Amino acid sequence: MSLDINQLSVIYQDGTHRIQALEDVSLTLAPGRCLALVGESGSGKTTLAKACMGLLPSNAVRQGQIKLNGQRIDHLEESFLNKIRWERIGMVFQHGAANLNPVHRIINQVAEPLIQHRSLSRAEAHALAGEALAQMGLKGEHHWRYPHQLSGGEAQRALLAMAMIMDPEVIILDEPTSALDALSKSFVTDCINQAKEKGKAILLITHDLELVVHLAETVAFLYLGEVMETMPARDIFSQPLHPYTLALGRSYPAMNTTRDLGGMRGDAFYRFVHQHGHDDEAGYRHTHIQVPLSSHKDGHAPPSGCLFQSRCTQAIERCRTEKVDLEAIGDHTVRCLRHGIANLLELKGVSKKYGNAVAINPMDLTIKCGEVFCLVGETGSGKTTLAMIAAGVLTPESGGRVFDGRDMDEWMHKDYRSLASQIGVIYQNPAESVSHRFSVLDTVAEPLKIHGLSQSKEEMHARVTSVLADVHLSTDPAFLSRYPHELNMGAIQRVCLARALVLGPSLLVADEPTSSLDPSVQAKVLKLLLDLQIEMGLTMLFVTHDIGLARKIGDRIGVMLSGRLVEVGPAHLILSTPYHPYAQLLIDSVSGIGHGSFQPASDPVEPDGCPFVTRCPQAKDLCRRVNPQLLERDHRQVACHFPLTIGHPG
Amino acid sequence: MHIDIRQAVSRDPWFVVGFSLGLIFSIMTLLGPPLAPFDPWDISFTPLSPPSARHFLGINDGGQDIFSELLFAVRNTLTFGLISGLVALALGVLIGLAAGWFRGFVDMILMRIADVLLAIPAIMILILTAALFRPSPWVLALILSGMMWPTISKAIRAQTLSLRESLHVRAAAQIGGGNWYIIRRHLMPEMFPLYLIGFAAKARIAMFMEAALAFLGLFDPSRKSLGMMIGYALKYYYMDIWWNWLLPPIACLSLLIMTVTFLAISLEKVLDPRLKEALG
Repeated sequence: MSLDINQLSVIYQDGTHRIQALEDVSLTLAPGRCLALVGESGSGKTTLAKACMGLLPSNAVRQGQIKLNGQRIDHLEESFLNKIRWERIGMVFQHGAANLNPVHRIINQVAEPLIQHRSLSRAEAHALAGEALAQMGLKGEHHWRYPHQLSGGEAQRALLAMAMIMDPEVIILDEPTSALDALSKSFVTDCINQAKEKGKAILLITHDLELVVHLAETVAFLYLGEVMETMPARDIFSQPLHPYTLALGRSYPAMNTTRDLGGMRGDAFYRFVHQHGHDDEAGYRHTHIQVPLSSHKDGHAPPSGCLFQSRCTQAIERCRTEKVDLEAIGDHTVRCLRHGIANLLELKGVSKKYGNAVAINPMDLTIKCGEVFCLVGETGSGKTTLAMIAAGVLTPESGGRVFDGRDMDEWMHKDYRSLASQIGVIYQNPAESVSHRFSVLDTVAEPLKIHGLSQSKEEMHARVTSVLADVHLSTDPAFLSRYPHELNMGAIQRVCLARALVLGPSLLVADEPTSSLDPSVQAKVLKLLLDLQIEMGLTMLFVTHDIGLARKIGDRIGVMLSGRLVEVGPAHLILSTPYHPYAQLLIDSVSGIGHGSFQPASDPVEPDGCPFVTRCPQAKDLCRRVNPQLLERDHRQVACHFPLTIGHPG
Repeated sequence: MHIDIRQAVSRDPWFVVGFSLGLIFSIMTLLGPPLAPFDPWDISFTPLSPPSARHFLGINDGGQDIFSELLFAVRNTLTFGLISGLVALALGVLIGLAAGWFRGFVDMILMRIADVLLAIPAIMILILTAALFRPSPWVLALILSGMMWPTISKAIRAQTLSLRESLHVRAAAQIGGGNWYIIRRHLMPEMFPLYLIGFAAKARIAMFMEAALAFLGLFDPSRKSLGMMIGYALKYYYMDIWWNWLLPPIACLSLLIMTVTFLAISLEKVLDPRLKEALG
């Protein structure tokens, strides 16, 4: 039995407002499979579930088809729908116990559909209901309790029992685990998995991404009524292709990710549909997006563009005007003009020498839009050089650079300033990176002056104060006329941050921005940095020697050793199971395991050998002769002949 | 600037002395002609008269009023020194900044020229030029400036080379600041102390040089100069004129040089707080 949802659109008519809740959603539920529907509140998940059950309120206008096993059920009369509900489509509504009738005992409520639909006797129905409840782990004495006498988790399980009591072919679960503790959740997860194995088609609506990974095969991400991406559930954290998916994954407190919760840029809003006059032919299809004042600086989103563009980290001009359709990329389908998450910066084979000393061996590095990429490694491993090459401050000896799809060197040559306005840089030593003869105002206004961006003093002042407010600094005139030596390090670093942000860059290169700060100030500056990264949709290249710091802020990590990248991949993967012994050493020394065994970096025995060979506990002959290439292994790249893996003897 | 200059300098004895002397010399220079009781070229007085109520410093061998002569001489010497110092400073700063900022070929050419000039003694060139071509004092001042800039530009270049590596200069370059912007906003203000030292040193040399050339009689004899006054006074040193004829121009020359030095030291101290402890 399968449920087909075909181009379903739902509009709620609310007085004079019309709110677009769903637009052209097409999904298929197959038996024995679980489809998860994920999205922010207000993205239309519950509306979709209600539409499947024929439970939309009377002010809803619906288009499109819903087919159960090839038979349309969306236009059926209430009496036919009643047959389908519970018998063929079971549903667990959200908000748990609130859906139970407070004046009836639990077992009566679970047995009710049996009595209603199957015309069973009360005793038979109770027996079956008791069994179903017991299957959900509710003990006998609980069956006769009233809803208010149950805990949230027990009520939720009672609801699950109720949904499954009629043995329907399709089960719709709306936030089945939101009120459950971890233990009850895993119990309920098992129950749902069993139902799936019995061949039920399950539509899971949830915020809980871990649950999705455990239960679902496929997941669809809904935003403001549109499907933004569908993908295999296992790829949620490792391979999101839409910026929305990436942001949702980053907002979820998953156990295996290490970065502090990121959240998503801006706020969600309602889609109001304005009906224009009758003589306006295209008029009634126009969709205006009403943007609350608090959410966006760029105000009204245009009627035609991508819904997500104002919150996107990689929106380009075309996104404002062009409507995009879902497009298949591998086993994902993605609604994005840029065909998935774009690369903001690509370094291809860049290298750098200082005199005879090789700082960077030819290497590739790709930084994606909206991510925080951390470069870690010991002193002298070439982190800063690589970051400065990425920022366009240093010119590599060989190789190419592509920034936002344009050749960077050519761009620099033609119009350096327009490139410079796209890249903000924060330096290691805040006190030295501002001139001590510049006041706060002068310092922050410097980029505006250089780029000739402010027509008048007032305009410049306004821009400076707004960016100072963004970095949580005072904006009163007394502060603006302060000089760096009158400020503390944290404040100076924030002034530097304001200077880097005042032109509205898309890439922020931060070279050890907090190494000269004490831990409490460091924490404040980092939190600020990450908040701004999210709110401004920045991409960040963060250089640090502190792998513990990288763990807290990085989406991806690149481990550098002697001018080479030896391991690149998602931060949580590298930190939990490093493949390169050097990465392991770095992690161990931060956690205090490797203390006392310090060996300074030295040249490899053979010039072609692995640079880590003298310090590597598992170096073999091959390592002395051949320097390993950076190769793709399990969602990451490693340059090691004998990568550490679980169970690998080394 | 983030230092209250007025308050800082007013407490500094170096500045107070230098400023007072400077004020006196400025008045002498600016108001010299109206202040002078007589025309310094008027030879109608009794030669070698001792000081009297009409002639504060007496009359020289040519029958001219020494005080009036002194006012005009200070004016000439001071102007010569200031102009030479300023022109040498301007040349030195421009050349030093250009060499240090652009480096490479520009640096090589400019610094080799500087090396050549450093190797040639300025006094020799000046004496030869003055003796052979008899140019006006202004031309001599310019020639002297043209000889004196290398030490200033070497110092400025060294400072530029160090500053160009500093983070705030690199940050400005990263933001997209052009050469002229960075030189004007980041490099020039940073080197203020160097300007003062350079200017003071060169102005001192120039004043001394002017006096020396005049002493040697290489200027137009009718042009009043401290050096020339000393030269004539020395011819009559066996007479009792040293205190009214010889001493005043010598004292003025010494005080002029001290004024410039004192002002430079005090301003430098104020503008660079690190020197405060060293110089007291």
